[in-house]
Amino acid sequence: MKINAGSLKKGEFIFYQSGIWQIQKSDFYSPGKGSALMKTKIKNLINGKNIDYSFKSNETVETLDVESIEMQYLYKDNENIYLMDERSYNQFTVPLSTVGSVANFMKEGDKVFVYVHDEKALNIRPPMSVRLKVIETEDSVKGDTVSGAKKQATLETGVTIMVPLFVKQGETILINPETGTYTERVKQ
Amino acid sequence: MQIQTHIENLKKYTVYLQVKEAVNQFLKKQGYLEIDLPVLSPALIPESYLEVFETQFNYFKSHKKLYLTPSPELFLKRLLAYGIGNCYYLGKSFRNHERSSSLHEFEFNMLEFYKVKTDYMGIADELLKMLRFITKKIFKKSYLFFQGKKISFDRWEKISISQAFEKYAGINEKELFDHHLFVKKAKKKGYRVRGFTYEDLWSQVYVAEIEIRLGTNGLPTLIYDYPKEFAALAKLNKNGQTAQRFEFYIGGVELGDCYTELVDWQEQEKRFFEEQKRRLKENKLYHPIDKGFIEALKYGLVDCAGVAIGFERLAMIFADLQSISKLKLINITYED
Repeated sequence: MKINAGSLKKGEFIFYQSGIWQIQKSDFYSPGKGSALMKTKIKNLINGKNIDYSFKSNETVETLDVESIEMQYLYKDNENIYLMDERSYNQFTVPLSTVGSVANFMKEGDKVFVYVHDEKALNIRPPMSVRLKVIETEDSVKGDTVSGAKKQATLETGVTIMVPLFVKQGETILINPETGTYTERVKQ
Repeated sequence: MQIQTHIENLKKYTVYLQVKEAVNQFLKKQGYLEIDLPVLSPALIPESYLEVFETQFNYFKSHKKLYLTPSPELFLKRLLAYGIGNCYYLGKSFRNHERSSSLHEFEFNMLEFYKVKTDYMGIADELLKMLRFITKKIFKKSYLFFQGKKISFDRWEKISISQAFEKYAGINEKELFDHHLFVKKAKKKGYRVRGFTYEDLWSQVYVAEIEIRLGTNGLPTLIYDYPKEFAALAKLNKNGQTAQRFEFYIGGVELGDCYTELVDWQEQEKRFFEEQKRRLKENKLYHPIDKGFIEALKYGLVDCAGVAIGFERLAMIFADLQSISKLKLINITYED
């Protein structure tokens, strides 16, 4: 569907300059001289890179009809992640370069929403947070109460992140997979 | 459309009030007269870069069209022609077709002040004094921190449009003012040019490559002498190529727009017709041109200069926010 760039919304997919992009941010802006603009941050689904781009608000862009389907994350190899649509049992792949570091926080069997266009998976929709178990971290020294101090912790998916000192081995924590940052401890 | 209540913004709203108080104090101290003005008018200045709101006054079977003013300029210049002297308006203005965003609301507050017997650089001096005054009032210092960066109001960083395009976009003066060369250069840079005017592309390059750099070196930036295509109501420079217009920025945010006012009524009338033609061509809402404005110019507008400042944007800087909506207790937001 062709629309004015001025109507672009976060989350939409567009076909632009021979690539498929997802709108990460869109902010109307009128400089009061010449055309009004749509300041956007767009993510290229092929290489996963974000760029800032200001569209003329009256510029025509083509949006893509994209479905969001819940799938099961199966596994990953060096190039792709593999997913299965549990209703149709169809298997889909998304390149790791597209998924980015979010893949480090995905556990086999996790449910994840996948953007599908023309029967091809474009990318996953990163969840707001993921629950993962801390499999290795040093015990903090008693009396070390510097506020905001952090230590390394390895999670069950093998990735290492920084966590507050009070987090213990074996505990489950919430992480924002897009930024890779600790958000809170989950009570068992 | 939705009404949203944001009581959590109360603290930032009080900063907004402090800025408002400081501005009023400063302008009064400098001898500017505060002017209260209507926001509904039967005619407007034709401006092709903005859209207006239309409503009507009904009395029995008579219906009269009225328009919400996108700026107080048409009223203030009338008063200036009649000799009011230095004056200002701080109140509502309305712009249709501007979706709520970090720097836009279709209903917003505008500060506009005019000084007689001066030009745009005279306003620049006054403005810097005003910024310093507000900072001193609120922070008891001559600088502030905006998004972690120190901004000092000791002086302006001044840069002309030509210098800025050369420095930040690699576009030389010849390419900048020649429509054909500019479009060619923009195309080479990867911009979509087909079907777009020089003005459209200029604006796109300006926003993408120039604006983000302005007001980011620890000082407020004043960028001046815009191409004549963006002269609007500003006097042209002697070269005929640029207009005496400046804008000022802090942290990449445009805060205000200043002109040495055009006092030649014939030239102004000509520009009005051009703007009105462009409005119609772009399918903008028809509204009558304010002929009384031209009459006022004929009567004789004293040499003067004025600046229009998006007041929420200004307050946003002092409140250290990235979005004007964070200053508001009540927001009307647009939803698709």
